[in-house]
Amino acid sequence: MQEEVVAISTDGTVTEPTMVRGKVVRSKWARNLLMFLMVFGPGLIVMVADNDAGAVSAYVQAGAQYGTKLLWVLLLLLPTCYFIQEMVIRLGIATGKGHAAMIYQRFGKWWGVFSLVDLELVNFLTLVTEFAAISLAVGQMGISPYLGVPVAAIGLMLMVLTGSYRRWERITVFLCLLDLAWLGVAFRLHPSIGQMAHDTLVPSIPKGGITGNLVFLVIAIVGTTIAPWQLFFQQSCIADKRLRFADLKWARLDTLIGAVFTIIVAGCMMLAGNAAFDGGIQFSDPAQMATALHIVEGSHWVRMAILLLMINAAVLGTGAISLSSAWAYGEVKGWPHSLQLPFREAKGFYLTYSVCVAVAAGLVLIPRAPLQLIILGVQVLAGIILPSAIIFLQLLLNDKELMGGYVNKPWNNWVNWTIIIVLFILSLILAAQVVAPNLFPAA
Amino acid sequence: MSFMSATINIDMNEIPENHYVVVHPLDDQPEEKIDTSTLGAMPMTTSVKLSLMALRGYLILMVLLVGYHCLDLAGTFAKH
Repeated sequence: MQEEVVAISTDGTVTEPTMVRGKVVRSKWARNLLMFLMVFGPGLIVMVADNDAGAVSAYVQAGAQYGTKLLWVLLLLLPTCYFIQEMVIRLGIATGKGHAAMIYQRFGKWWGVFSLVDLELVNFLTLVTEFAAISLAVGQMGISPYLGVPVAAIGLMLMVLTGSYRRWERITVFLCLLDLAWLGVAFRLHPSIGQMAHDTLVPSIPKGGITGNLVFLVIAIVGTTIAPWQLFFQQSCIADKRLRFADLKWARLDTLIGAVFTIIVAGCMMLAGNAAFDGGIQFSDPAQMATALHIVEGSHWVRMAILLLMINAAVLGTGAISLSSAWAYGEVKGWPHSLQLPFREAKGFYLTYSVCVAVAAGLVLIPRAPLQLIILGVQVLAGIILPSAIIFLQLLLNDKELMGGYVNKPWNNWVNWTIIIVLFILSLILAAQVVAPNLFPAA
Repeated sequence: MSFMSATINIDMNEIPENHYVVVHPLDDQPEEKIDTSTLGAMPMTTSVKLSLMALRGYLILMVLLVGYHCLDLAGTFAKH
């Protein structure tokens, strides 16, 4: 419990608190380091959780089909995802409220309901794909999905139900740091450093030119790196952690570190796919690739690492996506919605989270569930919601009444409108491909 | 390292000079934020109107395309 620190003087006026709960340090650098460590978390989590099961699949497929030729796309996405999430940080710190609540308050009920329903639907479908990945990975490890999937679901619920934001954050940051093992996997697969550096820094079109498959894969990479739930998640997370105006620069640093970390890990996933490309391995999902790589490379360690990392990616994605759903729904319904609250004080919030996790896990265990249809649904809905969610974000960040001194600067707007226009164009290209499948050559 | 010491209750009046107090956001007093409940709806400036209009157009287009794709998959446009 927090100690009461407000002091009331004899004349009844409230004075500055004299007692605080904190740490005393002697140097400025120690103060800065400690402040950063206290603020650190939401930025790393939102970025690393974005490398979820769908992302693993997209990056590995990109590596398997085009080797290292699409690494430059990831480098372009680094500033893109940072600038978008940086706006979220400012909005979260300035208002102390979540994204869903802001859309409701500033754009009215219609847009509020549209954003919420779209978010909840796409999040739920994404959760099903996360559990499908867990099912595939545990299956390749020789564990029955009927055991592995429920264990993962129960673990995810226990992580959140502790009634302590800090405990949840520490566990999640630990899981995020496990992703460092992707560096070990990539190193073990002996990529050509020169080729990798060249393909990262010099944008080029792979052999075969611009084909329908290449366009689809690039859009899939962009779509998986910038996801709608991220906007809702980080803003709610910042509000729940009660970040202060003074924490802004540390929250930005946290997010930048998260962005760099997640792009490096994404590159490593592409390198794993590249090893399959070099080995002529055919696969339909990363779990199959891990087993096939084991045969080619003769390394049991690589196989187990990829399978465990795939589960970790799905667990991180599930936790963050379910929380973004629960926070958004709680904000709009006006329920108590904080990880700091015990279950009995925020039943609606925790039940929303738990129901999302439990139903998604249960669906995966139904024999012959239409997973392909669900994956298609995720892509379509994510394509619809992302540009709209970013437009709302951009408009809110230009709202002087709301943002005060934290409003977007002209250069922010130039960068962000460029990103929005590119995202719209990519969405329209994807849509055009649906109508005219022969828009780009097949191969 | 000194900064790794445990969190303690600190009397701000007793902090020696050249020492700094670092408080975790969750242990700090809630900060005053902008009161969004009194703001109401966003003013419909030209740029806001244009953005929302573009968004509506985009959404209508996407819904039509998804509908077309569903009908196409159902074989509605197949040549007999």
